[in-house]
Amino acid sequence: MIALEGVAKAYRTRSGRRTVLDNANAVFGAGHNFGILGVNGAGKSTLIRLLAGSEQPDRGIVRRGARVSFPLGFGGTFHGALSGRENAAFLARIYGARRRTMIDYVADFSELDEYFDMPVNTYSAGMRARLAFAACLAIDFDVYLIDEVTEIGDQRFRRKCAEAFRQRMARSDIILATHNPQTLRQYCDRGAVLADGALFLYDDIGAALSRYHRILHERN
Amino acid sequence: MSDTLELPAELEADAPGPAAFDRALHAGELDACRDVLGRCELPARELAALNCRLSEAFFYRDRREAAIDCARIAFELHPRPQSIADFCAWLFSNCGRHHEAAAAYEQLIESRPGWADGHRHASGSFAVAGELDRAILHAIRACELEPGSCEFAVHAGSLLAGAGRHQEAFAYLTRAGGIAPGDPGVLRRLAAAALATGQPEAAIALARRAYALAPCDRANALDAAELLLRAQLFDEAARIIAARLAVDGEDGAASRMLSAAHMQRGRLQEAIEAIDRALAATPTIAEYHLHRGDLLYRLGRLDEAAAAFDRALALDPDNLAARRSQLTVYFDSGRVRDALSIGGELIRSAPDNEEYAQAMLQVLNRRFETFDGDYVVLGERPARPSRRGYAPPGWGAALATQGRVVHALIIRETRTRFGDSTLGYGWALLEPILHILTLSLFFAVLMHGRPPIGSQFFIFYYTGLIPYHVFVHTSSSMNYAVTSNGSLLQLPLVSTFDVIIARGLLELVTDLLVAVVLLAGFGALGLGTMPDNLAGVAASIAAIWVFGCGCGFINAVITGFCKSWDKIWNQMTRILYFCSGIFYVPGMMPDWLRNILAWNPVLHAIDWFRSSFFVDYDPHWLDRTFLVAAAVAALLVGLALERAARHRLYEPQ
Repeated sequence: MIALEGVAKAYRTRSGRRTVLDNANAVFGAGHNFGILGVNGAGKSTLIRLLAGSEQPDRGIVRRGARVSFPLGFGGTFHGALSGRENAAFLARIYGARRRTMIDYVADFSELDEYFDMPVNTYSAGMRARLAFAACLAIDFDVYLIDEVTEIGDQRFRRKCAEAFRQRMARSDIILATHNPQTLRQYCDRGAVLADGALFLYDDIGAALSRYHRILHERN
Repeated sequence: MSDTLELPAELEADAPGPAAFDRALHAGELDACRDVLGRCELPARELAALNCRLSEAFFYRDRREAAIDCARIAFELHPRPQSIADFCAWLFSNCGRHHEAAAAYEQLIESRPGWADGHRHASGSFAVAGELDRAILHAIRACELEPGSCEFAVHAGSLLAGAGRHQEAFAYLTRAGGIAPGDPGVLRRLAAAALATGQPEAAIALARRAYALAPCDRANALDAAELLLRAQLFDEAARIIAARLAVDGEDGAASRMLSAAHMQRGRLQEAIEAIDRALAATPTIAEYHLHRGDLLYRLGRLDEAAAAFDRALALDPDNLAARRSQLTVYFDSGRVRDALSIGGELIRSAPDNEEYAQAMLQVLNRRFETFDGDYVVLGERPARPSRRGYAPPGWGAALATQGRVVHALIIRETRTRFGDSTLGYGWALLEPILHILTLSLFFAVLMHGRPPIGSQFFIFYYTGLIPYHVFVHTSSSMNYAVTSNGSLLQLPLVSTFDVIIARGLLELVTDLLVAVVLLAGFGALGLGTMPDNLAGVAASIAAIWVFGCGCGFINAVITGFCKSWDKIWNQMTRILYFCSGIFYVPGMMPDWLRNILAWNPVLHAIDWFRSSFFVDYDPHWLDRTFLVAAAVAALLVGLALERAARHRLYEPQ
């Protein structure tokens, strides 16, 4: 369960102040997978980071009644001078996971082979993403936050990810930000629409999608 | 006989001249005339005049190219005389050669400078030829010459509006409106100009007046309605168009406009009905289909929208807007491959259009999410076991988490700080050891005799440098703790406090290791003594470390706002080096100077350390309470600043 209580968040951009959330109250209940819909620039990524706790709200509180992941596939925390193994060990230490188990899992899942012991600096973007994805799956989170699944590895690896995810979804929830209706219908049973600083939650993903379409149309 | 009779005539014709020309012209043999003109020797003026006559003849025979050729020859031969320029201007503009017509008019104006109509003609020709700037110059000149002409003012205003010079356009059209206040066309143009110059109220009033002047005139009504649409008076515009449609229900353009009005009022269903009527009247306009597709898309009827865009594209294959809309529909209805091919066509047609490229990128991204172009079907979700209860972490668990995080950060720091060197963390130890050894050696050689306290210079400097290093290393290392760990702070469990304190702890551990290694080394060389009061040594180190942490937190916050703060701070620590009694004891100083130096907490820390190390050293100026108070105060200020500035210390990517 993640609850937003009176959460406000705004950014200063070059073109002025942009409000992502304005006094948002919402509860992402346990046992449901939520899809977050919003047009480009509505602030989906910011919302995901607020839910993760990677970012703090300007006002209000984000309560987390669960172990919430960092945004899935987020490799920004890797230190380039450290090897994949050392970076995985770091995450294991932070999250209190068993280091040996985690390192074995990541080594196996990421398929980095000899690169696993080389500095992350030497990795390609795809290798980095594989490491990040594996590290996130290795830790036993209650809620996985996913910001716009993008290309990870080759087709076989993506199948493997989907399969790992399917298993993980038996005991964990996901919150997924995307503008792909298909992905959303596939993974999520509930929806949320973020527009103009307001966040609406829907018990039915279809209702969320049609609301999203209306917003799209009003914009054009 | 006839041969002999005709011979002279033929001979005559062979002698090229005006006479031969006239004969051929009368006989209607224009090509022969051309031939004559090509061969005869005449003054340029005369030849030009003949060419004009021939050109006119060609024009009336509908041989335009030949007419233009002759006129060109005439104009090149002798453009001066008014009759020739006049004729050329007339012919060029009638034959669609507006550039040359404009040149002819300019020639005419040169000989008749005050000729307003000439300027107006030149302006018209330039405007059609696409030379807006010169057209505007002539239009303005015409207005200046004849300020009372409504037509000239309207013309100038329209050109200026077309060039985006709305303020000037508004001025000229206002003048035209003053001359002909009852002309609905002028009023409509003025309304458009008012709208463009940000005067919607005036625009609305003008549009209403124009409509009221001739409500039954189709063009007037539709124009006025369009102005009202642009001024966002959708209801009124819809009323006007509806009245028009009551007169002529088959008016496609009116129905199209009504559809737009309905759409703006959010009545999508009625908008669709209106555009359907428009299409029933004129089914071959691509834009109508495009509009209908947009409406269907807004209603979420994606398949019908796709069909509408298809029809628009069938009518107008080069319509990029239709293609762009089709892309969106395919994309939203999951037809990624179709979207991809449309995107490819868009990019081929307009490689520099950023918006198309963005749309294509979006499609490509989606393509990558799919396997073989189809979405992965994960199957039914397995029945979910009842979720384990989750208790919010208590104090103990929260503290344990923080401990884990700081521990992990310290280990990461030891691995990364000297990442390039094979010695790794060993450098962190070696550096201060070498520093202390060289300095002690330097002073030991330079100064002879006994040090102020104890028997060994090495030990004396050691006791000064260790507390100083604890302070300087701790406080300085925290400067960049936040800025260089920005990415880590995106992990929810890692806070700014953690990354700052981890550095402080690492410095403490390092300096303690250095202290122990050095002391052991001195002991091995037979120079060493064990500290007399280990508890006192520990207390003094703890106090100066807390003071260092307090200053470090303050540093971390200041560095967050002022990047060059660390340079200032480094200068300050260098001054401290001389003010803290590292290589002397404050007892050597005169009282007044010592009283000033006693404000320095580091000096107290060193003396506390020394008085614990050597039990017989007991300086009367040593004030442990002052040091502890300073340390606690600095820490409180530092923590408060960190807490207050936490969110502003780093900008997430």
